[in-house]
Amino acid sequence: MEHVWDFSALLNNKQLLLIGLRNTLILAAVCLGLGLFFGMLVGAARYSKKPLLYWPSTVFVEVFRNTPVLVQIMWFFFAFPIISPFDIDAFSAATLGLTLNTTAFSSEIYRAGIRSIERGQWEAGKALGMSYGEQLRRVILPQAVQRMLPAFMNRAVELLKMTSLASVIAYPELMYQAKIISTIEFNPIEMYTSVALMFFAIVFPLALLVQRFELKHKAR
Amino acid sequence: MGYEWDFTVVLRDFDLLLLGLLNTLKVTGLALLFGVPLGLTLALLRLYGNWLVRIPVGLVIEFLRSTPPIAQLFWFFFALPILVGVEMDPFKASVLTFSLQSSAFFAEVFRGGIVSIDRGQWDAAKALGMSRNETLQRIILPQAVKRMIPAFLERAIELMKTTTLVGTISYADLLYEANSIAQSSYRTLEVFTVAAAMYFVVIFACSVAVQLLEARLTRPDESARH
Repeated sequence: MEHVWDFSALLNNKQLLLIGLRNTLILAAVCLGLGLFFGMLVGAARYSKKPLLYWPSTVFVEVFRNTPVLVQIMWFFFAFPIISPFDIDAFSAATLGLTLNTTAFSSEIYRAGIRSIERGQWEAGKALGMSYGEQLRRVILPQAVQRMLPAFMNRAVELLKMTSLASVIAYPELMYQAKIISTIEFNPIEMYTSVALMFFAIVFPLALLVQRFELKHKAR
Repeated sequence: MGYEWDFTVVLRDFDLLLLGLLNTLKVTGLALLFGVPLGLTLALLRLYGNWLVRIPVGLVIEFLRSTPPIAQLFWFFFALPILVGVEMDPFKASVLTFSLQSSAFFAEVFRGGIVSIDRGQWDAAKALGMSRNETLQRIILPQAVKRMIPAFLERAIELMKTTTLVGTISYADLLYEANSIAQSSYRTLEVFTVAAAMYFVVIFACSVAVQLLEARLTRPDESARH
């Protein structure tokens, strides 16, 4: 069987693919921003000695780290609307699932990063009369963030790949658009090959950057 | 909110969920069975092959690592059968995809482990007259594998989480069963929550086991180094 590759249908649907690409990037950016922000809060809560902060944040992190992200997205899309006071569309469900997942994973990065900073730095901050929050914000985090950067970028790589799961709940990102086009045009070979290549073109440079950062850190 | 929880549907169809879980474990197990040896092969080719081998193998590994698993699954399920004219069913496509996908990640674990072994071990083996293959087999791999075990098990857990995708091509794993029970019974909240809990129990148990193992493995290793 000889297959003749034909990419013309792809060009005809360029507009649809561009919309998909844009939605993929939007979803990834929103979830990364929110996830890193909330991850910082949850990470700080897990570092706390107060049981009221420590236990809920720990349970949250373990639940989201130990369940598949697709289950989380589908739970927020199909199950959550029943008890939720507001409407949930595909975008909000995907954003909720991916953001909370990223929050859980990045909180562990913050925690490890903060832990890696020497005890003496805290004490020095305290000696200057800084409160716990000030020590964290002005002394610890600026140093820790540098060490955490490769791990955060790794999260971004994972997140970019995970956005493709939003196609399952019909959010029109790249993968979903590909599915639609391939059923209309009967060109699964060209369509899925190109979509894989498009993801590769976005994700691989980022992955290379992570590797370079990691090497630099090891050399230090 | 006055929502009344009702788990009778879940209880009635619990055996379906268990069957789904079994299928999840089946795909994970088979993907491991094929993915691990393939990963070792890829790692060795990438490390010790000549450039004609090294570059394509590296490209394949990076490609599998940098594309979403769902894109790979759809490619193997929808595109490959037309391209080469083979019969494909959801089960075969799932095992094929996840064997290849995980092999790329295992290759990197193997490579990291092999590279982490001290240069002196190679020199010592050479001084004893061992060939490269003998050194790898008898000296390097046994030490490397021990160090890789935690990273390796973590990957296996990731793999199990990723297999939830097989439902999208209608292979009846736990998530797929949960979805079909939920859609027919309208007890979406209960069914999805129970399914999530089932995943959590299995995956959390594995994670804890890995952590315990990791703690046991690192201790004697640390003392041996001093």
